[in-house]
Amino acid sequence: MRERREVDLRLAGKTIINQLGVVLRTGQIHDIDNVAVMDAVDKFIRLVNPVIEAEGLLKIDVIGEFFYINDSRVRYPLEYMLNFDYLLREFQRRELGTVVFGARLETDEIKTFLRVFMSSAYSGTPYEAMEASLEECTNIRIDRLKKITEDGDMDQKKIVKKTYFNAVSFTESVMNRVKAGEKVNMKVAKRVVESMVDLILSEEQLLVGMTAIKDYDEYTYHHSVNVSVLSIAMGQKIGLSRKALTELGLVALFHDIGKMEIPKEILNKPSAFTEEEWSIIRRHPYLGARVLLKLKGFDRTSIRSAVVAFEHHLHYDYSGYPEVRNPVKLDFYTRIITIADQYDAMTSSRVYARVPLAPDRALRIIMERSGSELDPVLCKFFTNMIGVYPVGSLVLLDTREMGLVYECNPLFADRPRVMIIVDGNGRMTEGIIADLTERDTEGRYLKSIVKTLDPNRYRLNLAKYLL
Amino acid sequence: MTHAQEVKEIIQALVKAKKNLRIYPENNPVYARIVDDIHSRITSVLEYTGELSLKIRQHDIFFDGESVYHGDGKEENLALFFFKDGVRELTFNKGLPRNEMEDFLGILAVDFDREALDDDIVTLMWEKDFRFIHYMVDDSILLEDETYEERAVEEAKKASQDNEGILQAYREASSIEAGPVTHVIPITDADLDHMIREIEEDTDDKSIKLIHLLFEMLSQVGDTAEYGELAGFIGSALDFAVRHGNLDAAVYTLERIDEETAGDDCENEVRARLEDLKRFMCSEDFVSGIAEVLDEGTEFDEALLQRFASLLDSDAIPSFIHVLGELRSAQARRAVISILSELGRKDIQSVARGLQDRRWYVVRNIICILRQIGDATAVEHLVRAVRHPDKRVKKEAIRTLGVMGTADVLHVLNECISDEDELVRLTAVRAVGLIGTPLSKKILLDRVADRGFRDKTFNEKREFFEVLSRWRDDDVVALMIRALKRRTIFKRAKNTETRAAAAHGLGMTGSADALEPLMKLKNAKNRLLRDNVQAAIKRITGEREKRS
Repeated sequence: MRERREVDLRLAGKTIINQLGVVLRTGQIHDIDNVAVMDAVDKFIRLVNPVIEAEGLLKIDVIGEFFYINDSRVRYPLEYMLNFDYLLREFQRRELGTVVFGARLETDEIKTFLRVFMSSAYSGTPYEAMEASLEECTNIRIDRLKKITEDGDMDQKKIVKKTYFNAVSFTESVMNRVKAGEKVNMKVAKRVVESMVDLILSEEQLLVGMTAIKDYDEYTYHHSVNVSVLSIAMGQKIGLSRKALTELGLVALFHDIGKMEIPKEILNKPSAFTEEEWSIIRRHPYLGARVLLKLKGFDRTSIRSAVVAFEHHLHYDYSGYPEVRNPVKLDFYTRIITIADQYDAMTSSRVYARVPLAPDRALRIIMERSGSELDPVLCKFFTNMIGVYPVGSLVLLDTREMGLVYECNPLFADRPRVMIIVDGNGRMTEGIIADLTERDTEGRYLKSIVKTLDPNRYRLNLAKYLL
Repeated sequence: MTHAQEVKEIIQALVKAKKNLRIYPENNPVYARIVDDIHSRITSVLEYTGELSLKIRQHDIFFDGESVYHGDGKEENLALFFFKDGVRELTFNKGLPRNEMEDFLGILAVDFDREALDDDIVTLMWEKDFRFIHYMVDDSILLEDETYEERAVEEAKKASQDNEGILQAYREASSIEAGPVTHVIPITDADLDHMIREIEEDTDDKSIKLIHLLFEMLSQVGDTAEYGELAGFIGSALDFAVRHGNLDAAVYTLERIDEETAGDDCENEVRARLEDLKRFMCSEDFVSGIAEVLDEGTEFDEALLQRFASLLDSDAIPSFIHVLGELRSAQARRAVISILSELGRKDIQSVARGLQDRRWYVVRNIICILRQIGDATAVEHLVRAVRHPDKRVKKEAIRTLGVMGTADVLHVLNECISDEDELVRLTAVRAVGLIGTPLSKKILLDRVADRGFRDKTFNEKREFFEVLSRWRDDDVVALMIRALKRRTIFKRAKNTETRAAAAHGLGMTGSADALEPLMKLKNAKNRLLRDNVQAAIKRITGEREKRS
């Protein structure tokens, strides 16, 4: 019985969260006694009560960007994404972190919860309003959203940094081995990517943030890892499984491997390329596919890696290179990786393009290319993931403070977490983190972005702040 | 018993399970018993400890600071098994379900020395996404350069500017015009549906896509030596695809080879390499890959098999004949027979050579294939197969000659009617009837008229009359009536059998002339005769009623 129950809880979690989203969304549109609302409430109760009976209670927690049911992280399929995002946003708006249903639920109890939840939206202090209104309801207990502590942040950041640099170090060794014609250990490659996938699932923003730092000498290795990180993050956004994310991450890591076959003097040439040099550079997708097929025996990953390496500059509308005689639809992973590749390349300083673009400018270009060079639907997912102000954007706030975007907020694309580097009086500061979703007692935002600046114009070293 | 003692026993059970689970398949009761035993041992400890945490070192496993396992060697060392991939701590938690335990034991039983896996223990555990088994891993074993992070961070920070750049940015910020803001377009239900479709359509096997790109790459080579390499890649991708049940990849490749080599603009070197590739697709090595997946139960659409065979060269025939004898499942044999039946149309002689195969069942299948092809040039080979020592082959050859043969083979079939095996004789009688020429009729009539005919079994005699009944000629009916009426003093029982068989034959002719003599015998004392007569009367009258 125990075994069965565990399996059911795992499966039920996503349905319960989704249904709670449905209840609240329906309650927002209709009167609480409307048939549609009642149907949604009844369905929610039917889902929840068996779990309460089996587990003794049902606890819903929001930690970071994830829901937990009875301490188990809920993974959700793509089709539930809108309800999950909605629910997360509404919980965060009310600073609601936990809801506990202590015993079997009755319809009236859920109706009370729904009413309290809806009305709290009009309060300047929604959490307190909810807490007071639910005092009489002994079966439902709530708790405030816990802020992730800075200490915890620091520990996580260390892990994120370690994982990121492990990946870069590994990529460097792979590329060197390829060049030397040596074997590559795919077991290690998988382990490296699995670590990145784990971090994307738990600390997406921190790892994506690492890709914003571009002050390294070895562009190719960092670029490969950045493309892998951005692709995995995008894959997670569109609902790929963990296993698929690993494959996507691996494929992305090797997308530029053909560059190892290009003479270094061309690759590192500081001045503009001649037409002949360009034609050699343009061979790297072809060379990459060959290298990957020689690397090891044929399996699903090596085949897909070769496909993506060949296609990653072809473009959605086939306007890129190499020229092909019979174009067929680009591979799904190619279309993801191409976006990550273009974004990272644009925001990086390369030998042949010394001045990188500001992240928000690069994002605008991505959107301009949507539907032509890039898959339009995937572009939407990418911009939603990266936010209006990508990590590394230099921003001026309405408080006359200046800061660097430190972390995006996937639920409020224009309200990231910002590291303040100059205070309102024009003095350098220690880098306090401001969450732009914070509001005053009257519900007004404390700080908002008024404009962005180009960090490259002022040769800002992001590593100093973000590493 | 102390906790440590119990844990020691669990570890010993794990060591045994590691070996034993390799021996038994997952559906074997012994396998299930091993899983149950370890699961119940661990859950009973977890019942009062809540968790069971094991520290892993190179040669030891520790529980609660005490060594509960020690292994010195490299082989069979459970501690090293985990340690070498970086596992440093393994924790089982209360609530551990049986399926999770079974998955864990499945990983424990993997023989990494024998199986060429790209996954280590950590990856295998990671993919299972355990909820009740946690592990701590030391990733530093993956690193070749442990100081990389330190150096990279230092180097990146070294490039740091003084504060002037930042302050300049601040000073200029108010005067700089705000640039356009990229608006994030919300993701709609339609976008989600689109993405779900994309994920669903995103098949695991990208072989066809790769093969397509490799054909593209053929037109982009920088050095002619690369042609061979690319063709080799196509071959490997194809081999991979086919071994994973993707026959479409083979069809696609053959179509592309034909397309590429059809034009005059195809370079000689490319043509030569593609022809090599086509030859590879005819090889026993490649064909055995197809055979393996067929034997594993993969089913291919008949039209796909036909298309595949129609594109292949006849050089593949010997390879397919070879694998035909190796296949274990009937379904797989049917598929290969289908391929050979199509392929054989291009070269009947190559298929016929299969009649020389030492395996009788292969020869029988080849005869079936020749029958399906229906090419008259195969008859001469079939005539030889009639003399095959195995009677199963013989029967198949005789039957096929009946279907395909002409009057030329009747003398061979006539010989077979004298075969010592009754089933062979019966098949030969039917085959002669199928050929249906006047000579066929004469052979059968002569046999019936022969003195020895009386001594045959009832079955055989009935077969003769039944086959003869296809000629509804007067002489046939007259002969049967004579046989029906014949009375003898000696061997009466045998004669009655002949009469009963003749009655059966008359019934099959539907002849009205037979009714009168049949009616006279409808109450015959002998049951065999009576039953056959009554059945014949019923058949004739029934037919007549139907006609009227």
